[in-house]
Amino acid sequence: MSLIRHSLLIAVLFGASTASAQGSNLVRSDRAATPSNVPAEVLVVLAKEEPGEIDPQLKKLTALRRPPFNSFRSMKILSRPKLTLTAGKDALVSLPNGRRVKLTLLRVMPDGRYKVKAAINRPDKSDYLPLLQVVASAGDPFFVAGQTYQGGTLVVGVIVDPKKTAQ
Amino acid sequence: MESAKKEDEKLQMFFDGELAPEEEAAVRRSLESSPGGSAQLRDWEQLRDAMQSVSADWAADIDSNALFARIEADISAPVIPIDRPVRKPALRTVPGGRERRVWGAAATGFAAAAAIFLAVIAWPESSPNGGDRAVARGSEVLEVDFGPNTGTIFEVEGGAGQSLAVVWIDDEEVGLP
Repeated sequence: MSLIRHSLLIAVLFGASTASAQGSNLVRSDRAATPSNVPAEVLVVLAKEEPGEIDPQLKKLTALRRPPFNSFRSMKILSRPKLTLTAGKDALVSLPNGRRVKLTLLRVMPDGRYKVKAAINRPDKSDYLPLLQVVASAGDPFFVAGQTYQGGTLVVGVIVDPKKTAQ
Repeated sequence: MESAKKEDEKLQMFFDGELAPEEEAAVRRSLESSPGGSAQLRDWEQLRDAMQSVSADWAADIDSNALFARIEADISAPVIPIDRPVRKPALRTVPGGRERRVWGAAATGFAAAAAIFLAVIAWPESSPNGGDRAVARGSEVLEVDFGPNTGTIFEVEGGAGQSLAVVWIDDEEVGLP
């Protein structure tokens, strides 16, 4: 009988230790899933339908050669600011037309993607894009396009955690 | 409805002979007052006579005194234990040391099964390619407010085949402040 008790005790202790290990894994993954700071990059591109040069740095971004971008024959990078997104804190990037991109990291989704809030407006105005919420995986951009500027169209790409680029 | 039920019960009691004499006479008069009731009364009387006849025949065949005497004798008889060889349970035929080993093996097997079960339940999920977990790719719009403008949401295929979100908003050119 003592042998049975001994075996059951071993089983229970093994299960408890495994569950404990699993719990600590969850804790670790939760901590990893809510980083305090995430690098990001904002790509400000002036696209025009007139034939011209496509900035060589954009050749890796094959999405910019597909609809609705395929009508543009020239693309020039106007700025490429790097910033750090902090959860719950706004990060601002100025655009050449006087508006500002406001980015806020909301949370990291269970599937590892970043939930980000964006807005593009002139200071203290809500004249263009009051609210946009997206989820984006690391290195995969989302784009906001359509602002007319200098005879072309501004294409704003936002890449969260750009070191993991896989466009 | 209730009166019909009471009437049936009264007829049943009449048939069983359970009514008081005056009630029985009243029911009988009521039945005899109609042709249908008279016929039913005759049927019941024939049935009752037949049942009484059969019952009397059975009672005559049974010697009730002898039957009760036999029952009482059986009840008062002393209990005699039956001397029958007792079969030992199959497990008792196993020698003591071996029996313990069998139980030990069973307990160990149970413990191992429980440990495997707990390990499978509690083991962290892993992706097929050995990563920590499957990570979704691409970007998508959850919510958008175009404000006073009109806009369109596109999905563009990225270089890795992932879907990338594009929000296109029509706009008048804004001059520098």
